Amino acid sequence: MSKPVFVYVIYIAASPERVWEALTKADVSERFWFGYRVTADGKPGTRMTAIDPAGRQVHDDPIIESDPPRKLVYGWKSLYKDLPDERASRVTFLLEPLKDQTRLTVTHDDFDEGSRMFEMISKGWPAVLSSLKSFLETGRGLAATWGEEERRRAVES
Amino acid sequence: MAKPQFVYVTYIRSTPEKVWAALTDPQTVRKFWFGMNVACDFKPGSPWSLSFEDGRVADIGEILEAEPPRRLVIRWRNEFRPELKAEGYSRCTMSIELAEYYPGMGGKAVKLTIQHELEGEGGKLIEAVSGGWPKVLSNLKSYLETGDVAFKE
Repeated sequence: MSKPVFVYVIYIAASPERVWEALTKADVSERFWFGYRVTADGKPGTRMTAIDPAGRQVHDDPIIESDPPRKLVYGWKSLYKDLPDERASRVTFLLEPLKDQTRLTVTHDDFDEGSRMFEMISKGWPAVLSSLKSFLETGRGLAATWGEEERRRAVES
Repeated sequence: MAKPQFVYVTYIRSTPEKVWAALTDPQTVRKFWFGMNVACDFKPGSPWSLSFEDGRVADIGEILEAEPPRRLVIRWRNEFRPELKAEGYSRCTMSIELAEYYPGMGGKAVKLTIQHELEGEGGKLIEAVSGGWPKVLSNLKSYLETGDVAFKE
C-alpha cells in the first residue's frame, strides 16, 4: 500500500488571475467556498487562514510556495476538534492558462497511509471546485445552507 | 491489486433528467464532447459508438445498463489507437443523483460520478481517459449551467 494522493483537474472559463483571486481572497472565497473565508495571498512564510461560517478559525497553515497566478502550495491541517487528529498534509494548486481559460490542477498529498482525513478531503474538493467553477462562470457558486444554520446556532448559543 | 480505474465527481446546478438528456442526446453530446458523434439508442444490450467529426470511429461498445435518469453502464473499447485497443474492454459507469455536497452541508446539486475501469490488465486506456474526462465533464457542467463550454482547443 502506498501513501494516498488526491488529484483533481478542472477547466474553468476564467483567467488564472481570477481563479487565483478566488482561491486566496476571503471576500471572494466566501461566495463559493460554502461560506469559508480563506486568505492565502501572502508570500511564502506567511499563513493561510480560514474562518468558517460560524466565525471559528479552522486553518492556520504555512504558505510554502506562492507564484501568482501560477502556483500556490500550503500546508493543510484542520483545526476542527471533532475531525481526525492527523499531522499536516499539503495542498498544491497549479493554474495553467489556455487562451482565456484556466486548467486548474489541485493535488492534495503528504498523507500517512490509511489517513481518514484523506477520505474526507476526497469528498470535499470536488464540491468546492465545482462551486468555484460555477461561481466564476455564472457569478453564483453552488448553494449550501450549512453556513446559515451554523451562523444561527453560533448566535443563539 | 485493484484494477486500474479513474473516478471523477462533478456537481452540476441542474436536474438529473437534464444531465441524462445531455449525456444521451447526440446533438448535445457534440457540443460539449469536442464534436464527437455518439450513436446509440441507450437501451440495455444496444451497440454504442463514439466517432470523430470526420467519421473515424473512436470508441465502440455496448450498453450494459441504462436506468434513466440515474445510471448508465457502457462496455467500452478504444478503436483508433492500437495500443489502447490492445488493452481490450473497459467499463464506464455514470451515476447521476441529486446529492448534498458534503454530509451536513445542506445544499444540493446533481452529483455526476464517472467511474471508468479496465476489465483486464494495463494502464494506458485509463491514463488516456484520465486526461479526457475532466475536459468533457468540465464542458458538460458549463454547458448545462451557462449554455457554453469552458474548454476550447
